[in-house]
Amino acid sequence: MSELNVNEELLRAIIRDVLKEMPTDDSAVTFKETLNDTQSQAVATETKAPAVAKQVDWFKHAGVAKPGTSKDEVVVAVAPGFAEFMTENLTGISHRDILRQVIAGIEEEGLKARVMKVYRTADVSFVGAEGDKLSGSGICVGIQSKGTTIIHQKDLAPLSNLELFPQAPVISLDTYRAIGKNAAKYAKGESPDPVPTVSDQMARVAYQALSALMHIKETKNVVIGKPAEEIIVDFATKE
Amino acid sequence: MKRSKRFEVLEQRPIHKDGFVKEWIDEGFIAMESPNDPKPSIKIEDGVITELDGKKREDFDLIDFYIADYGIEKDNAKKVLAMDSVQLANMLCDPNVPRSKIVDLTTSMTPAKIVEVVSQMNVVEMMMAMQKMHPRRRPATQSHVTNLRDNPVQIAADAAEGAFRGFAEQETTVAVARYAPFNAISILVGSQVGRPGVLTQCSVEEAAELDLGMRGFTSYAETISVYGTEPVFTDGDDTPWSKGFLASCYASRGLKMRFTSGAGSEVMMGYAEGKSMLYLESRCIFITKASGVQGLQNGAVSCIGIPGSVPTGIREVLAENLICVMLDLEVASGNDQAFSHSDMRRTEKLMCQFLPGTDIISCGYSAVPNYDNMFAGSNTDIEDVDDYLVFQRDLKVDGGLRPVTEEDTIKVRNKAARAIQAIFDDLGLPKITDEEVEAATYAHGSKDMPARNLVEDMKAAQELLNRNITGVDLVKALAKAGFRDVAENMLNMLKQRVAGDFLQTSAIFDEKFNVISAVNDCNDYMGPGTGYRLEGEEWEKVKNISMAIDPRSV
Amino acid sequence: MAELDELVKKIVAEMGNKPAPVSQPTETHTDSENEEPMGVSDYPLYTQHPELVKSPSGKSLEEITLDNVMSGNINSQDLRITPDTLRRQGEIAEASGRAALKQNFARAAELTAIPDERLLEIYESLRPYRSTKAELVGIAEELETKYNAHINGKFIREAAQYYEVRKKLKGDN
Repeated sequence: MSELNVNEELLRAIIRDVLKEMPTDDSAVTFKETLNDTQSQAVATETKAPAVAKQVDWFKHAGVAKPGTSKDEVVVAVAPGFAEFMTENLTGISHRDILRQVIAGIEEEGLKARVMKVYRTADVSFVGAEGDKLSGSGICVGIQSKGTTIIHQKDLAPLSNLELFPQAPVISLDTYRAIGKNAAKYAKGESPDPVPTVSDQMARVAYQALSALMHIKETKNVVIGKPAEEIIVDFATKE
Repeated sequence: MKRSKRFEVLEQRPIHKDGFVKEWIDEGFIAMESPNDPKPSIKIEDGVITELDGKKREDFDLIDFYIADYGIEKDNAKKVLAMDSVQLANMLCDPNVPRSKIVDLTTSMTPAKIVEVVSQMNVVEMMMAMQKMHPRRRPATQSHVTNLRDNPVQIAADAAEGAFRGFAEQETTVAVARYAPFNAISILVGSQVGRPGVLTQCSVEEAAELDLGMRGFTSYAETISVYGTEPVFTDGDDTPWSKGFLASCYASRGLKMRFTSGAGSEVMMGYAEGKSMLYLESRCIFITKASGVQGLQNGAVSCIGIPGSVPTGIREVLAENLICVMLDLEVASGNDQAFSHSDMRRTEKLMCQFLPGTDIISCGYSAVPNYDNMFAGSNTDIEDVDDYLVFQRDLKVDGGLRPVTEEDTIKVRNKAARAIQAIFDDLGLPKITDEEVEAATYAHGSKDMPARNLVEDMKAAQELLNRNITGVDLVKALAKAGFRDVAENMLNMLKQRVAGDFLQTSAIFDEKFNVISAVNDCNDYMGPGTGYRLEGEEWEKVKNISMAIDPRSV
Repeated sequence: MAELDELVKKIVAEMGNKPAPVSQPTETHTDSENEEPMGVSDYPLYTQHPELVKSPSGKSLEEITLDNVMSGNINSQDLRITPDTLRRQGEIAEASGRAALKQNFARAAELTAIPDERLLEIYESLRPYRSTKAELVGIAEELETKYNAHINGKFIREAAQYYEVRKKLKGDN
């Protein structure tokens, strides 16, 4: 896959976006260490998310997410920037299509998908680890805005996983569907073959800087202490 | 604009596919000397550090507290901070100033001071300093042994070949986390077939990794990550105290361990606080020192694409390796991640550590083709190995590897595959067929291997943990199946835990399980004619590459 | 060697003067209380002092043979390091100028007594947002009273205090 290339335009667009969203009082985003009251500072810096969430018709909030009781649900937990602050993953696949495929994979196995947005963290493992605690089956698919995905199970250490797809550039829509399908199988107590891993050492080379920039943007939307919210997705609505 | 044919040709060169980014100071996209980096300072009252690099104790974060309480030799600190950084940098590259004198000074520095000192140096001066400062005199290197499907037979065979080629340490990881016990066992057995005394590890989640070590499936650990800002440390699911405690857990089981850090991880994880990569990495190195850990894997490691994308980033990577050895820590100096499409550029990167020598030059060099490298590809892989052997021969530099013959290599691969087959058989694990042994013996990568039943393997791997199988059971299985020599080697490795000699700084073993560390092989470089020299029998081996024709035979 | 001796002296002096934010190891010698501290020339213990190296059950290195493993006379519990050996390695580390390592080995010596599973649990409790302050203090007390692990107890109390200040206790996220 040597034709993989950092899309310079995209890179510039993201840098511009992040810059735009940086509040004018930059102590709010840089964890300035020189202030005297470090404690309240630490909280203040992280609770102030940029105010400009995009209104997205297909992705609607429905209050604080509650723990599920139904054994036949798989939670799909997305990171703070997903769909509302960024709309595409690292390689330009839309968040809407990603969610649609993951949910289709879950439903193909006869299970229900429940979508939620996590705010406390931008880290994919912790996104998964928060979602699985709210999942009736204990299984959660965690997805970052840049596209990195994890299948997590309740009781696993946060940084462990059932399956991890760390290289977003090599995840296709088919793979997202297969991830949903496997998650549902775990929820049913089956032991599926892991989704085949693809490794492309040059993908990281081409994408690492861009990946960092997208993640920086994700962390700007972290809100310490804010519980996950239930999301109603409606793929019939226009994007 | 009418295109220049010259520029069109240049654009097709591999280097144009690499990612380059202009500096962006507020988000830490700057290698060294960020205007936001603090100025060195220290205030000590009643034996307690009350100000560190411009910050008052009441403003300290967890990392500052930890470094202030454990990481700095206070007695000389004020004096050393007052010394001129240019003069200190001069002492570092002056061969006449012995290593021990430097260590006395550096261990009394603060993170910002040590950064200020190395920032005075160009890359050649840094290499000169590295040549003198890496703690163990003899250089060595490490491999990665992994594959796409976590095939245990292939891991054993590749580990045997890697050990046979000269890697002093070998590291595996998993494509799927639940495979970990099999990968750990396979690399352990394979390594002891290839060359007795090679240390092995399996990089997985921190608690799981310690668990594998306690069971006797690994002999050391390396991927114990520390970070330079508090929010990133938290996202890494640890604190300096939990990591310090973990370090002692390893030692309490007689296991060698080193921490991991590297430039760019804070940028990658989104909380660089506007500081330069080198300053944040300096904090990581001080955390390591403060924990009483013997060494560190650093040099950007998996985040090499980040410093690699900004100006003076590759120099920064060498600078952080240098700070590590200045604090008298074993350095495993990166070169473990694919970061460039350009063969010239990845060689440029490697030379910074290869030429001066370090404790572990690459951590690691992919002993498998990069498509099988589950660390997302290394800077050099097995297909580069003959080039590497020629570098050693051309420059008379010991990069830790030796030429091997095809015939001998096939033999050790086959033996390792049979040994792991015997263990699986004895422990009632999913069968390894003769066909798999044959394939692993001659394979280049996982494309040459028949498929295994992954679900069965993963289930058995988890059961292995529940059954409380330990290293001793592996020793027994090997002996019963007639692999007495391999069983002896495995037992010797476990026995070394009782003596604990390899807990000392920069420890590795030779093929007779003699420990070689910074205690009994301390770097004594003081200019030409001193320090490590590639000579005698070892030089004869390095000279003898298979491509060289004997002029007398023509 | 003169240089080395000087260094050793210096470090010993340093250790003595320290107002000790880091406490001194409470060494629990079970043998040779009066033996001289180990130095660089005593290293490696495996070849220089095989007579001093024992397994937790008191077996010598000589007894750790393949035949004894096969006959069941040596099991995995015999292949562990003892507090005494860690203390000696700490002395060697200090003699070679690495006082920080000695401190780590001193903590480790205390931890040898704690079962694997409990050790993994304590590590888990120290990770961010896992424990309340009282829970951490409870662990410190357990270490001090049940395992005589005072250096570790202090280390964990200190963590509890700093976690409170920096909001890393349970519920802080």
